[in-house]
This record gives sequence, C-alpha cells and structure tokens, in this order.
Amino acid sequence: MTVMAQRETTSVLPPTGIGPKTAGIEIRNVNLSYGTNHVLKNVSLSIKPGEFFAFLGPSGCGKTTLLRLIAGFNQADTGEVLLGNEDIARLPPWKRDVGMVFQSYALWPHMTVARNVAFGLEERKVPRAVIAEKVKAALGLVGLENLAGRYPSQLSGGQQQRVAVARTIAVEPKVLLLDEPLSNLDAKMRVQVRRELRDLQRRLGLTTVFVTHDQEEANSICDRIAVMNDGTIQQVGTPMELYERPASLFVANFLGTANILDGAVSGSGDARVFEVAGGGSVEVPAVAVIPAGAKLVFRPQHVRLKAPGEAGLSGQILNREFLGANVRYGVRLGVSEVLVEAAFESAAGLRAIGDTVSMAIAPERAAFLAH
Amino acid sequence: MGYRGLRALFVVASLLLPTIAHAQAPAGKLTVLTSFSKDVTDPFKKAFEAAHPGTTVEIQNRNTNAGIKFLEETKSANQVDIFWASAPDAFEVLKAKKLLQPFKPKATGIPEKIGAYPINEKDGFFSGFAASGYGIMWNERYVKANKLPEPKEWQDLAKPAYFDHVSIAAPSRSGTTHLTIETILQGEGWDKGWRTIKELSGNFRNVLERSFGVPDAVNSGQVGYGIVIDFFAFSAQASGFPVKFVYPSVTTIVPANVGLIANAPNKMAGEAFIEYLLSPAGQEVLLDKSIRRLPVRPETYAKAPADYPNPFKDPSLGGKVTFNSEVSEQRTAVVDTLFDQLITFQLDGLKAATKAIHEADAALAKKDNADGRAKLKQARDLIAAMPVTETQAASPELRAVFTGAKEKSARQAETEQQWASAAKTAYAEAKGKADEAAKLAK
Amino acid sequence: MSIALDTPRAATRQRLATPGQIVLASAIALFLALFLVVPVVTVVYVAFTEKGSGAFTLINFADFARTDLFITSFWNSMYVSLMTVALASVFALPLAYLTTRFEFRGAGVIQALGFVPLIMPPFAGAIAMQLLFGRNGSINLLLDDAFGFKIPFMEGLNGVIFTQAVHFFPFILINLSTSLRNIDRSMEEAAQNLGSQGFRLFRRIVFPLAMPGYIAGASLVFVKVFDDLATPLLLNVKDMLAPQAYLRITSIGIADPMGYVISVVLIVVSVAAIGLSAWTMRGRDYATVQRGGGGLAQRKLKPWESAIAYGVVVLILVLVLAPHVGLFLLSIATVWSFSELPDGYTFAHYARVFVESGVFIKNTLLYASLAGLIDVVLGVAIAYLVLRTRLPGRQWLDWTASAALAIPGVVLGIGYLRTFYGVKLPDGTSLASFWIIIVLALAIRRLPYALRSCYAALQQVAPALEEAAESLGATKYRTVRRIVVPLMMGGILAGFVTSFATAAVELSATLMLVQNTSDAPLAYGLYVFMQSPAGRGPGAALGIIAVLLVAVCTLLSNWVIERNQSKRSGK
Repeated sequence: MTVMAQRETTSVLPPTGIGPKTAGIEIRNVNLSYGTNHVLKNVSLSIKPGEFFAFLGPSGCGKTTLLRLIAGFNQADTGEVLLGNEDIARLPPWKRDVGMVFQSYALWPHMTVARNVAFGLEERKVPRAVIAEKVKAALGLVGLENLAGRYPSQLSGGQQQRVAVARTIAVEPKVLLLDEPLSNLDAKMRVQVRRELRDLQRRLGLTTVFVTHDQEEANSICDRIAVMNDGTIQQVGTPMELYERPASLFVANFLGTANILDGAVSGSGDARVFEVAGGGSVEVPAVAVIPAGAKLVFRPQHVRLKAPGEAGLSGQILNREFLGANVRYGVRLGVSEVLVEAAFESAAGLRAIGDTVSMAIAPERAAFLAH
Repeated sequence: MGYRGLRALFVVASLLLPTIAHAQAPAGKLTVLTSFSKDVTDPFKKAFEAAHPGTTVEIQNRNTNAGIKFLEETKSANQVDIFWASAPDAFEVLKAKKLLQPFKPKATGIPEKIGAYPINEKDGFFSGFAASGYGIMWNERYVKANKLPEPKEWQDLAKPAYFDHVSIAAPSRSGTTHLTIETILQGEGWDKGWRTIKELSGNFRNVLERSFGVPDAVNSGQVGYGIVIDFFAFSAQASGFPVKFVYPSVTTIVPANVGLIANAPNKMAGEAFIEYLLSPAGQEVLLDKSIRRLPVRPETYAKAPADYPNPFKDPSLGGKVTFNSEVSEQRTAVVDTLFDQLITFQLDGLKAATKAIHEADAALAKKDNADGRAKLKQARDLIAAMPVTETQAASPELRAVFTGAKEKSARQAETEQQWASAAKTAYAEAKGKADEAAKLAK
Repeated sequence: MSIALDTPRAATRQRLATPGQIVLASAIALFLALFLVVPVVTVVYVAFTEKGSGAFTLINFADFARTDLFITSFWNSMYVSLMTVALASVFALPLAYLTTRFEFRGAGVIQALGFVPLIMPPFAGAIAMQLLFGRNGSINLLLDDAFGFKIPFMEGLNGVIFTQAVHFFPFILINLSTSLRNIDRSMEEAAQNLGSQGFRLFRRIVFPLAMPGYIAGASLVFVKVFDDLATPLLLNVKDMLAPQAYLRITSIGIADPMGYVISVVLIVVSVAAIGLSAWTMRGRDYATVQRGGGGLAQRKLKPWESAIAYGVVVLILVLVLAPHVGLFLLSIATVWSFSELPDGYTFAHYARVFVESGVFIKNTLLYASLAGLIDVVLGVAIAYLVLRTRLPGRQWLDWTASAALAIPGVVLGIGYLRTFYGVKLPDGTSLASFWIIIVLALAIRRLPYALRSCYAALQQVAPALEEAAESLGATKYRTVRRIVVPLMMGGILAGFVTSFATAAVELSATLMLVQNTSDAPLAYGLYVFMQSPAGRGPGAALGIIAVLLVAVCTLLSNWVIERNQSKRSGK
C-alpha cells in the first residue's frame, strides 16, 4: 500500500518523463543454500541511493543469485534485505518495486514494444492516458519511439535490450537491476550501450546494480564494485581502489594482471626484506603489515627492467609481446614467470629474448597478501 | 463457453428433464433398455406411441451384458421400465438378482410353448413376445469363389471342406448362442453333445465376441459360414446382401423376451408396452421385413409372406428337443466357461488337431489301415474328453466357483487354468495321434 | 524482522507455494479424486480381496501369474504395443522429417492429413480395414485374382498392429514434428560443416535432438495400444490383456476378480511406461538450450530426392487414410460383400441419418468441446503447478492424471455409475443420468493428451518471461493470465484439439453412461446403427459426418494457431 502511495506522488513528470523515487539497498548476513550447496555465505553489503553498483565475479560465484535475491526470485534462508528502510526479504517480487532487466531481455513475444513497456503500468492500474504518456517517455529515453508498434522478433539485439530497459524504468522502480545486460550484444554495440546505460542512470539518478563477469564493463561504468567469489564478497570499492589495493589474491588476480610471488619475510623492524622463492629479495616498507604466509603481489607496470648485475631480482627474458604503447616481457624467475610492462619508445630500446635482466619492484606499489 | 452460458445450460437442462406423471392412462416417458437394433426398435416405438398418445418411448441401446451390468449398478435409483432382449438366460440372471417384477399380461391366445421352449416364464417375471430359430448363414459369393458346398445340418459343418470357414459367437458373450449350445447338450446328452460341439469347433475360423459380429463377418465376406439367429440372415437379405440361410433339422427356437423392471418409474406405461407387444397389432409389426421374427400368436402367420417359417406348423422347427430351462440355468456359467477355456482360447490347438484328423481321415480313405483307424479314434476321443462330468457341472461346489465373493471356494482363475491346460495337452496329443494315423496310411 | 538462525530450514526457506497455489492444487486433487480415483477404486478394489472373506489378499495376482492365458495375453499385449510403436514410427518419421526440415510443398496439408487417422469412430476403423485389407478384402481379392496369393495383413496380432499403427501414429507425428521444428539450423550446419550429411546427419544429429518429442509420442502410442480393447476385439483377437479384462468384466453372471486384476496390471504397466519415458528423457530436453538464433533450416531437396520423398509420403498417406476411404465407400455403398468395390452407390444412407444426426452432432460438439475445455484448464494448471512451483507432492497430480490413460473406459463407466448413481439432483433424478457426467468421463479420459501438450508448451516458455512480469508488479495470477497462457496458446489449442477430436469419437465409457437418446453423442448413434445389417451404411455415414465435423473444427483451430504465430513473428 505504501508502495502505491509513493508511486502516486511521483507521477509528476520531471524532464525525463520518468521520475523514479530511488533508494539504497542494504543486505545483512544473507545465507542461501540449495540443498548442500551453500551459494551465498553470510553476505552483507550496502549500496547507496543513486549509486551505479556492480557485482563482479567469475561464473558460479553467486552474483546472479544475489541479484535475484534483491529482485525477490530467490529468498534467503537467513538475513535481511532492506530497500530504503523497508525489509523486503519476505515480499514477493511483485510487491518490491525493484526493476530488473534480464540477460535474455525476456521480452514477451506476443506483445508489441509498446504493450511490453505498458505492462507494468497496467498492472499498477495507472490511468490509460498516463500510461500512453509514460510509455512514450520511456521509449523516448532509449530512442525507440518509432518502433512502438513492432513485435520483439522484429528488433535487433540492441533494440531489444533498450526495450527491456525502457520496460523496466517505465514503472519508476526504486532500484534497477541489470543481469549481464550486455552479454548478448556484439563488441561494438556493447561499448555503445554501456555508455547509454551510464548516461541514463545519471539522468534518472537511479540506484542501479549491474551483474557482470567482465571487469572492463564494471570498471568503465560503475561507481563501486563488489567482487565476489565462491558465495562471498571479497572486496567492495571503487574500480581504482580495487585495482590499486586489492584486499585478496583473488581480487588482485581477477582485476587486471598481477604477478604473485611466493617467499618469506626475513629481518625485523625497518630492515625487513621479502625473500622471493626463486631467488633475490625485495625491500619491505616499514609501515607494511605482512600476514603470515603472505605472497608478494604487484602489477607488471610496477616493475622496471635494469641492466644485469644491478640490484634487484635477476631473471631471463622468456618472451616478448608488443602491445602498441607498451611492451610486455615474460621474465623467468626461478620456477615462476614475472610479467613486466614497459612503455614502448623505439624498437632499438627493446630487450631481446634470452637476455638476462635485473628487475626492480617499486616497494610502495607492492602488496603482501596471504589469501 | 463462459460461466454464465454454462449455468444457463444447466438451467435449461434441468427444466427439460421430464416430470413423471401418475395418470390412469399410460402416459409420460417410458424407458426401454434393449439390445435390439434400431431396425427392430424404431417400428415398435412408432407403433406404440401411435397406439398410446401421450407416451414417449425412450430407447436405451446397450448390449445384453452391459444392460444387465447397468441395471445392477443403478438399482438404487432405477430409471428403466422395461428390459427387452433376446436371451432368456439374461432374464433369468435379472430375476435372480431381483431386478424384475412379475407381471401377467392379459393377452389371450398365446400358446404355452413355441417349439420346445416355454413362451412365458413360470412366475411371470418375463414374457416371450417373439421367437427366432438358430441356423446356418453363408455368403454366396464366398462359397462360390472357394467352391464350397451348401450345408444343411449342423454335422455338415464338421466336414473337412468347411475347415477354417465357419464363425460363431462365444456363448459367454451371446445369450442366444448359449441357448444353442445348451440345446445341443440337452438334445444329445452331455458327453455326446460336447463331442459334436468340439467337432464343429475344430472347423471354426474364429469365435467372435459379439452376436452381431458373426452376420457382419458373413455379410462382408470375411468368413463363409456363420452360426446365427435367423433374423440376422433375414434382415441381411432384406438389405441386399448375397447371403443364404438354412434351419438345420434339429434347431432351437429361442423366444425373445420382455420384462418389467422392479421399481419401474412408469409401471403403467411399461405394462401397456408389454400388452402391446403381445397384442395382434404388436405381433404384426414382427413381420416387418427389417425385423423378421416369428410371432408367438399362431394367427399372425396368416398375414405373413408365403415362405415365412411357422414353428406352429413345421415340427422340424425346434420340436425335437425338450428344453429344460432349470438345468440350463444351473450350469450356465460352467458351460460358458468350459466353451471359452476348451474352445475359444484354445482354438489354435483345436484347429491344428482337427486339421491333422481331417488329413489322416483322407489318407485312410485312400489306403485303409486298422492301426491307423484306432489311432484316429484315440485322437477324436482325446479331443472329445471333458474335464467335468454332467453331474459335476451342476454341483454346488463347481457353481460356487463362479458366484463371486459370497462364499469361500476354489477361485475361478484356478479352475480355468486347470481346464485350459488339460485341453491344451489333450489337443497336442490328439494331433500327435492323428499324425501317426496319417503316417500309417502311407 | 530478522529470522532466527536456528529456525528449521524448511520453514525459513523460500515459501513452497502461495496460498492460491495450494487452493488450486487442492481443487485439482479433489477433482481427480472425485472423478477418477474414487470411481476406479470402487471398481478395482475387488482385485485385492479374498474370495469369500473379502479380506485383503494378493492371491489374485498370483493366479494371474499362474494362468497361461493371462501370461500369453500379457506378452501379446507387449509385443503388439512395441511393434505398433515400430510401425507407427515408420509411418511418422518420414512425414515428420520431410515436412519440417525440408522445403516441401504441401507440408501443411500433409501435417493436417496426418492428424486425421486419430479421428476414427469406433467400429468404423476395423470394419473399413477388414473391407480393404482383410482376408477377403479388396487388396487380397485383387492380389488373388492377379497373382493367386494373399497377404495376411489382418490375421491375428498382425491385424491389430497394422490397425493400431494406422490409428495412433499421429501421436508420434505431432510430437516429433514439434521437436524437429525446434532444432536450430546451427545444429545441422555444424554437423554438415564437420562432414556429416544425408542419413548419417539425420541419425546422429537430427533424430537424437528430436528424441524428446519422439519418446513422448512413442510412449503415448505404447500406452494407448496396451490399453485399447476395442480394436483387438473387433479384429477378434482375444488373447491380449485389455480385451481379457473387458470380457471378464462384462460377461453375464460371472463375478470374478480377474477382470479387475487385469485392470490393475494395465494401470501399473501404463504408468510405468510413462514414468520410464520421463526418466529416460531426464535432462535431455534440448529445446530451450539449442536456440542459436539461426531459426529453422529448411533444406532443398534435389529433384530425384524430391521424387522419392513424394513417393514415400503419398504411399504412407494412402495407407494411413485407407480406413477413411473405406469408410466413405461404405457410407455410399448399396452392398459391399466379398468384392473389390461396392456393388453400387447411393446417398440414401446420408438421407437416413440426416434427420437424426442433428441431435447427435449438437451433443457431440457440446460434450467434446466442454471436455476439451476442462482438459486444457486442468492441463495448464497441472503443468504450471508441476513445472513452476515447489509444492510438495505436485508430481502426484501429473501421475494421477496420466494414469487415466490406462483406465479402461468400461471400468470408468461402471465406476461412475457406482459412485454417482445414488447422488440425487434437486429434481430427484440421479446425478449419473445427467449429461454432465458424460462430459466429465470424456474429460478424464482425454486429460492425459491435453496435459502432455500443455506441459510441453509450458516447458518452452522461458521462466525469465514470467519473472520479468513479476518484477514489473504482476502477481502470480496476473502473470499466468497475461504472459503464461498467451505464450502457451499454441500448445493449449493443440491439446484442446486432441482432446476434442478424440473425445468426439469416444464410445467405451459413453456407452455405459448414455441414458437418453436425446443425450447421446454421434459415436453412440453410430454404435446403434452398426448393430444391424441395414445399419452399416447409415452407421458409416454417421462416421463420415463425425470425421468431417472434427476435421473442420481441427482445421479451424489450426488456422487460429497459425494466425497467432504469424502475428508474433511479424510476418
């Protein structure tokens, strides 16, 4: 009932024609199992109103399950799901006021584009004239006013995706959930549509949760990302934070490329060094906290190649990839291979395969992570 | 159809349901449960409704077995007035189950007996209104194409020429066939009777499950000869089928009956219907060419066509056997089950043995051999042997086997299995003996 | 607000069902209990009672196993059912494959004609088959004249297999065609790309992918043949199980439990067959995973291939439509006896039935369409409960409804009389004599057909389509009404047509329940006519009227389906 009342008050049309009343999402201690399969393990999360948030992780990590939990298609065994201040954990999907765009778009093939978009409004018993107006506005937002009379099977993939978005925002939900919305599009469309999504989200100021396994997608459009693995949230942060200060080996490895070296700390106080398993050592900043069994983690661009014999880790170049602006070397260090990325200046300055080199790791850019 | 439409239908339907009138003259709806075909029921329905204005005859057409089952299941709220069918034993079953009520028709001039069979049931639970004789029907085109003879007597059908060309309905499925079998048993005695029946049966092409299946198969030329009740042949002839019919000299005349159901909702109209069937006007309807049954009023024959068989004049029509319906009734289930287990379901074995006997017979006719004759006789005796004597057949122990769950006794399936396996072995042995006989004649 | 951790999981777990679903499931369960389980149990419980004492026993089943006749019957039934499936597959495979996967002129007509054999009035099919293929039928008379030999098409079990295959092969055709249409072009293209072609392509890729449809159809054929009593009896084959049960149950004066024992065996085998087919196909429903966006591939046939294909199709159609041709000839024949063709032709039979058939047609249309309607409503509801909810025991609804396939019509008819005859309507007449009871019996008998159609239709609706509606504010009920049912419409109509068409020519249960000629359907009228020599022509004429009636309704609903679908694909 309260939901209905709020909707009535928001029917004044802002410039976009669509005026969602957005809210934040709070997930507290959620557990979910299918039989013996523990899919979500004590997940807690806070998404701010108006935020563009991503669940990022490999397939099977529980990110879609968590999204469907917010939408109401899965119900937690234990825990709370708050939308604004309301606990919606026990509400059925149709009472949640949560908009969802499905991976397959789930457009109803027996209805025209306009009827698809009007559906949610009709279910809310909005007066006909208002529906027509809002459908027009929603289709306008995604640039498809002229296709209102078509059936979904007559649309391209990108158009279908936009109809799915229009259909969802037409009902002015409190949050928008996107389940891998770009995965069925070709590469070029994907870049275009993700920009459109970002713009739309900005214009509407709508809390949006985006599920993806593609870090580039998440990095490029999201305010914050929750990296998930094996039913747990590994780390939450802005894309830059996650990249620069991964909290776990998994996050470091999953986002971008990372070198991870085994070894042990020796010395104490200011004189601590990390003895790398393949030989050589790295200074440890005095402030660094190194948990037991920690590994050395650093990005390829944070290693510098120096002439052989200079201080640092000594290794032999195994391979070389030319990436345009950069050159990436694979350097053998003991039994492992360290990736080193350097800016490309000229062909003459390149190291040859087989050269022995010395590598200097910027200590302040390195991290020590146990797991 | 929407809900409203459906409800409207309900209302209309309940309005249309007739109200039962209790006037002095017969009126209202008369429900007749019958196994007779439309050809029979339509003329009677028309004639009766004309004779009694204000009545409508509602015909429920079911085969005799289904009809009995129906009356049994619905007796708590019976809606049927009249049961109208051929087989007297079906009426005996209804009477035993207390589903009939006695009614003595006022009609006079109907003799006690037609052929050897009493026309009316002794306690008045049902009345014969017509008679039919059993005989042999054949398809002329079939007979001509296969160069087969025209039979005159039952025994003819046991001859080798007829092998695999004859059909009959199972007595367990056809009350009239049951009477024919029972007549042979009573006429020739238990053992000799069964011998005759099995000799005939060895030539059967098949044993059919419906009475009408037999004339149907003959009409369409699927089989050559059928053992049928006369009117099937007559009405087939009337419809133009190339079929012929003969009454063998020993035949049964079987009355067709009508009875009033216990608790008949329209008893008065029911009684009027029975009276009408027995009245001169009603009897004349029987002469209709699509009905062709034998009236039970001797005077009606005066109006019949010239070649119409008349059992009151022609002594060969059923006069030779005195039919004892009590004996028949006591062993109905035993006789039917014996027929099914020894013949219907063992037909392949019986036919193989019969074929071997025919061949041995032919071989011996060419070149006689005493040993061969002896073996052949053994073979015939093996086939004729019965697992049950006449006394046993009527014994309470054996009857109890077929009476369902009332008393504890041997189970029907057990008994049947014994009979069937005995017959199977006997037929196989008989075939062996006949084969040996044939070898001896070479 | 928060749920304590130690609450039992079952309780905190996602709700098993909404109250609405529980009410719906209970209502269906009640309906099935009232109109299927109770009537059948009142009849077959005898199978489990001891003679004399009425105590519970299994001795009757031991008798079954010890009786040669029953054991022979059992294996004969198995043999006939399996061979029928094989022969029906021979008829159905080429028709289905050629009309769905190739550019084939007249594919629609062939598919429509392929449905017609299902609509065969009782008696008519076997009589027509005998007239054409019997020992002295047209074909054998011609063969005998020309070459001096006959082919025993219709002798013994052969005749049953042949007649049943002709009658029931549309079940395989329909299901297989649906499956074949759902195979994405890319599947075949991938195989071709890897060097597979021709028959190997069909055997290794296309047929395995179409397996779910084939199995669905084949199991239906198996069960129908296993449980059918009319065809064997009309062809005079008695040593099969269903005829044995019928003969036992309906013989005068015999009160033996074996008929009901056989009925129980029939039910058990049928349910097992359906269960087995479901089990074999577990996790093999490819329809939803193989959408590659390529759509349907219709390959072109080379001219010589085309010639062979048309030859095969025409041959099969001639064979399977022969009974209808025979029936039509019979309906216009003066006399047809031991001859290749009737002696003469007349329309008098049609004139004779014309007056009476009005009420039969009206009743048939009313009963069959109400039965079809009840079936699709129940079918959709059961399919939804089974596939879309987690209601405990929901599978039982499916199993119970499917078990109706195996209930001999006469058992159901007797059960209805026994259960409902004592129930009085307000005006004092019995509920069992009300025509609605006939409708219910028809609906129960045909429910499995409609259920399978609805089931398949719902399986093809992606759950995301429903979730999308729910997240936009539609309740479960609204979602079903606005999304699920419209998307299932093709399958629902197909189920309706199958139920309607087969109910329109059903007799076995009807015969027991018809109490007024004014309430009788066409099949009953046909039965009454077929009991006399003079009635064969008019009976055949009624049969042809029934076939035409059902065919017209079928074409009409086909047209509706097509229109629906073409609108959706926007062509």
